[in-house]
Amino acid sequence: MENVIAERLTQTFRSTFGKSDIQLSRGTTAADIKEWDSLMHINLIVAVEREFRVRFTTLEVMSLSNVGDLADTIARKINKE
Amino acid sequence: MNPNLDYFQLMAEARRISCQESTGACSRKLRLAVLADCAVQHLLPLLRALFHRKGIQVEIYEGPFAATELEARNPSSALYEFRPEIVSILHSVQALRDRFYRGGAKVQNEFLQELTGIWDAITSTSRALVIQSTFVAPMERFFGNYDRKIDNSFSSIVSRLNSFIVDEARQRRNVLLLDLETVASWVGRQSWFDERLWALGKSLCSLDQLPAVASNIVDIAVAAQGQTIKCIVLDLDNTLWGGVVGDDGPHGIRIGAHGDGEPFFRLQCFLRELKRRGILLTVCSKNEHANALKPFHENSEMVLELDDFVAFVANWKNKPENIAAIQKELNIGFDSMLFIDDSPFERASVRTLLPEVIVPELADDPAEWVKYLSELNLFEVASFSKQDAQRSGAYLQEVRRRAASEAAPNFEAFLESLDMTIEVERFAPRHLNRIAQLLQRSNQFNLTTHRRNEAECEALMNDPEGCIPLSASLKDRFGDHGLISVVVLRPEPTEGALAITDWLMSCRVLGRGVEQYLMNQVIHQARTLNLPTIRASYIPTSKNDMVKDFYARFGFEKVREAPNGVTDWALDAMSYKERQVLMRPARDEMGATTI
Repeated sequence: MENVIAERLTQTFRSTFGKSDIQLSRGTTAADIKEWDSLMHINLIVAVEREFRVRFTTLEVMSLSNVGDLADTIARKINKE
Repeated sequence: MNPNLDYFQLMAEARRISCQESTGACSRKLRLAVLADCAVQHLLPLLRALFHRKGIQVEIYEGPFAATELEARNPSSALYEFRPEIVSILHSVQALRDRFYRGGAKVQNEFLQELTGIWDAITSTSRALVIQSTFVAPMERFFGNYDRKIDNSFSSIVSRLNSFIVDEARQRRNVLLLDLETVASWVGRQSWFDERLWALGKSLCSLDQLPAVASNIVDIAVAAQGQTIKCIVLDLDNTLWGGVVGDDGPHGIRIGAHGDGEPFFRLQCFLRELKRRGILLTVCSKNEHANALKPFHENSEMVLELDDFVAFVANWKNKPENIAAIQKELNIGFDSMLFIDDSPFERASVRTLLPEVIVPELADDPAEWVKYLSELNLFEVASFSKQDAQRSGAYLQEVRRRAASEAAPNFEAFLESLDMTIEVERFAPRHLNRIAQLLQRSNQFNLTTHRRNEAECEALMNDPEGCIPLSASLKDRFGDHGLISVVVLRPEPTEGALAITDWLMSCRVLGRGVEQYLMNQVIHQARTLNLPTIRASYIPTSKNDMVKDFYARFGFEKVREAPNGVTDWALDAMSYKERQVLMRPARDEMGATTI
């Protein structure tokens, strides 16, 4: 993961879940964070969109399999601009 | 619709609340059921946070997804087991759209039946209040602007369903509306809908707009519990008008339908409508009292008049102190008062010293104020009646009467200062309805409690036997009390007597001398008809003890007391000493002779 993106992502996860001890890696998935349910998933997506000023397509959201995917998608969108 | 509500901030707030739950910080509790054909997991934490802000601990029942009808129609469903006080029903236009695509235009009638069935079931199975959403207009247009000309287009159906929901809710006391159509239009449907979130998780709208949905539900629920704005405290200079009346003079201030006074003119119009619907207006201004009054007396562009205010405080004391005095005078809670002032200093002082008073920020530009106040949705109510519309006038009368009674050195002088006029006349067709109402309802000041209906009153009015049915109406300088007393006399010429068969009076006008005035009239009648004896009876009930000695007080002699407590009375009309009264006839001598 690009460092800047990784750091901002971690911050976004922490504030969205309200947990300051969250550590992310590329392989982190919903199974790794207890509170990461369908409700929080949508919250995360919208929080990340706000943080990075990007907008995901429905397909992109559905195809995300881990935090690495998410970071790559963000990077691709930012670089396009 | 507080524009300052942020989804993620409220989420965080809800998380903190659930951690400290059961600390008992909330004085009130509420059981709320949410039934929806969309997902509500994102909405519920917002509701918890916003109710908590209002001091209400909410317990929420989340109905199974898209099973509203099933839940409502089954008397033993988990919904009723939960015993909700409020059932919030959310219908999304997205779910309706799916049904339209599947079944076409017949979705309209299906939905109507389903909805009334749901409401009926909830009403008959529980005492819960229903908060029903309206539909947000869909984005889809199949005919462009021609869409609404097509009877069965989706947008025509949605619009018709909304009208139906509104009409049907008006007929039902226990159904209130969550007008999502209006709520969504504040931001526009473009930002309202997030079709990705609908596809991903059946979300009603974008997360950014969800706080508006939650806050409107909370506003309605709180209003239904009786917590509403009852009084607005208004500053004058640079709030009700532009400029400072002390410096610019009553004609130099900015107020008027056109030009630079328009924003203030519009604010005054807005406030006058609020007054008409029952909100009390008061003034709290740092001003010389005489200066503060001048625009109301001298500037014809002013919309509000002095009579629109139930309290008018203009002095140099600090505002929290003055507002506390207004609160005491009106006897309402601080939390039902709204303070509007252009000065950030005054707003801050009131917020600090009277934290319960609601003090909205105001934009720098007065032209934005009404829009902003409306957006805050401060004036939510859960009911409206004719009485609400008259509340301001009733308060004003009461405030003035009290002021007069404080100013009057003794009670007689006070009564005299009321400048009362009384009109005594034979039953008249225009009064029959009210007369019958008084006869049906008066319990305490009622000597014989004959419950006569309107037809019977009409018969008395037309009685050829010479019956004299009288009604009395009272006015004073603060207002009109309307028809407040009924006395029915029956001449008995063979016995040389005039009998009083009915005598009753509204207790609102006790202690003003109405009965003394009427007795003078009765005696006058007897003398005119040359009937020397007045006869009367008192029939005791469980409620009319207060008039047990009514006739004794006028010098009647008790001639008989029956075992059931009924007493008969007689008075020699010639020996009666006219009672002193402090009211005058509304229609001089004419009134007396028409009796």
